[in-house]
Amino acid sequence: MLPRVPDVVIETQGLLKRFGRFVALDRLDLRAERGAIGLLGPNGAGKSTLLKCLLQLMPATAGSARLLGRDIGREGREIRKRIGYTPEQDCHIPGMVGCEYVTYCARLCGLPFQTARQRAHEMLDFVGMGQERYRRVDTYSTGMKQRLKLAQAIVHDPELVFLDEPTNGLDPRGQAQMLELVRGLWQDHGITVVLSSHLLHDVERICDHIILLARGRVLVQDSLANLKARRRGAAEVVVAHRQADVQQAFNARGWRGELLTNGHIRVEHGAANLTPVLACLRDLGVPPLEVIPSPNALEEMFVQALETTRGPA
Amino acid sequence: MALRDISYRHWQGRHEGIWHRRRVIVEAGLQACLQNRWMRYLVSFCWLTTLVQVSVLFAVGQFLVADSIIVQWAAHLNPQLQTFVRGFTAWLDQHPEISVGTVQNLLFYRYATLLMPTALLTVALAIPHLVSRDLSSNAIVIYASKAVTRLDYAIGKAGVALGLLSLTWLGPVATAWFVGNLLAPDWSFFWHSRHALGHSLALGIVLMLFLTVLGLGVSAVSPREKATVGLFVALWLVGNAFVPLGALSQPWLKHLSFQYNLSQAALAIFQPDRDLATARDQVPVLGDMLRRSRRRPDSPWLERSPQKPWPALIAFAAVATTIFQRRTRPE
Repeated sequence: MLPRVPDVVIETQGLLKRFGRFVALDRLDLRAERGAIGLLGPNGAGKSTLLKCLLQLMPATAGSARLLGRDIGREGREIRKRIGYTPEQDCHIPGMVGCEYVTYCARLCGLPFQTARQRAHEMLDFVGMGQERYRRVDTYSTGMKQRLKLAQAIVHDPELVFLDEPTNGLDPRGQAQMLELVRGLWQDHGITVVLSSHLLHDVERICDHIILLARGRVLVQDSLANLKARRRGAAEVVVAHRQADVQQAFNARGWRGELLTNGHIRVEHGAANLTPVLACLRDLGVPPLEVIPSPNALEEMFVQALETTRGPA
Repeated sequence: MALRDISYRHWQGRHEGIWHRRRVIVEAGLQACLQNRWMRYLVSFCWLTTLVQVSVLFAVGQFLVADSIIVQWAAHLNPQLQTFVRGFTAWLDQHPEISVGTVQNLLFYRYATLLMPTALLTVALAIPHLVSRDLSSNAIVIYASKAVTRLDYAIGKAGVALGLLSLTWLGPVATAWFVGNLLAPDWSFFWHSRHALGHSLALGIVLMLFLTVLGLGVSAVSPREKATVGLFVALWLVGNAFVPLGALSQPWLKHLSFQYNLSQAALAIFQPDRDLATARDQVPVLGDMLRRSRRRPDSPWLERSPQKPWPALIAFAAVATTIFQRRTRPE
């Protein structure tokens, strides 16, 4: 019988990581439950550092963390037996062919040789690698390396998998295939996935829980459904002419209308849908070229995170 | 219907223990090292020397048999020698602690020190496979993310070096002792030559542990294979250049050579000078020969240094351990 995976898979308290004077993780308090978790944030937000601290690939400056209900400081080896990790950069053992490499990784996690070899082939099938598995890893394309990294991360049947930018360097088709594989890990096989990415689209597509980081801090942590539901009743209206009239009409209704530099009019109408805005335009006799609904809270937060990262320290 | 099932399946087996995982690292490392044909040549060469050593031990053993082919052959060469050889053989037969113990101790001292450069070459060839390649390919991150700690990694990699040194040093020496005594005219040879084996094993432990630690440290210096191999060879050769310099000026300079320190360790463990003194005192014929040979100037390599080699060996190992520890951190 499979051991029961605790509901709370990641828990950190005051996790701090400093590189000299630079604070990469700023006393992070996190609590994430099983599922497909998106670790989102712009480059330099602290995503990879968080993963590395959790996996003990680098020591945290202060704070504590628990993975799968166990303390990472005391039970690191036991924890790593039950988790998988695909690093952002290329990692392989030179001279080994693909299937040998995955078998080796499985054996490093304690699988007996026969089982390791069998599962290595199963995982390579699962990630869609064919005869390339008999080639030396050094000769692989970026796409193959990403697949191989996923195969080595799941070959020992982990309960939790950390994926650091798994779609990096892939073409759109490759990205879609990779995301489909990752989505299946949680939805079809119950393996908790932590997907670290700076690509909002990737995270939105497969994750049901989001942790948004910026400058080593958690900006938001919520379910994707909740974040998407949080619309602030705003829209951008594009009209061919009479922009000033449209703005005035919006303001006359007590809404906040703002003429943007690109000629669009941004309006905060506060309603749950666009019907009042369209009615106003109809009354005014101005046909809209386009009405763009407000971004959801996640998109807004992500933009905010981007701006936070670009801003002064 | 799909020809094969490519869906994900959970695994419900039992994990192997930590020593199994460490052994996996050793196996993979040994496999990678032995893929190098120069390493295979070196291993073959070392085992060929075993044959030579066994032949020498066999010949020496035959001197103790009154009617052996060697004794008959010596007598055939010069009939006047026959009486001397028979008398000498009878004397040797009565003093097995010298004829077997002392002789084998000297022979194994010679053999062990002759194999020392091959042990150093083994480490030089193994260095890229120990840590350098893992650093250059980021494999160190993969190891760190699996169910092995840095200590497990170090034990695994040390096992690779120890395994190779067993193939090129300890294995040939121990096999030569066993087979050489198996072919001896009497089973008591095993007993009388026990000190030779003990000394060989003691030197083996010192040499293998030291070279393993040194190899790991040098291999961890850089991710570039050529740089690490070059550094090891430079340390070896430049260190050896200090030995004649030390003989001329400051004696401590000699200890900058790790090969010199290992040679001194061999001298300290085997104590061949004590054996030679015993032989000189006990066997009058040998005594004259040895006294004459002592008049020749000694090589600084064969002269016992007043300073012990252990502090220098420990210092080399400490530096290597520190480098290994610092460089094998994933970040």
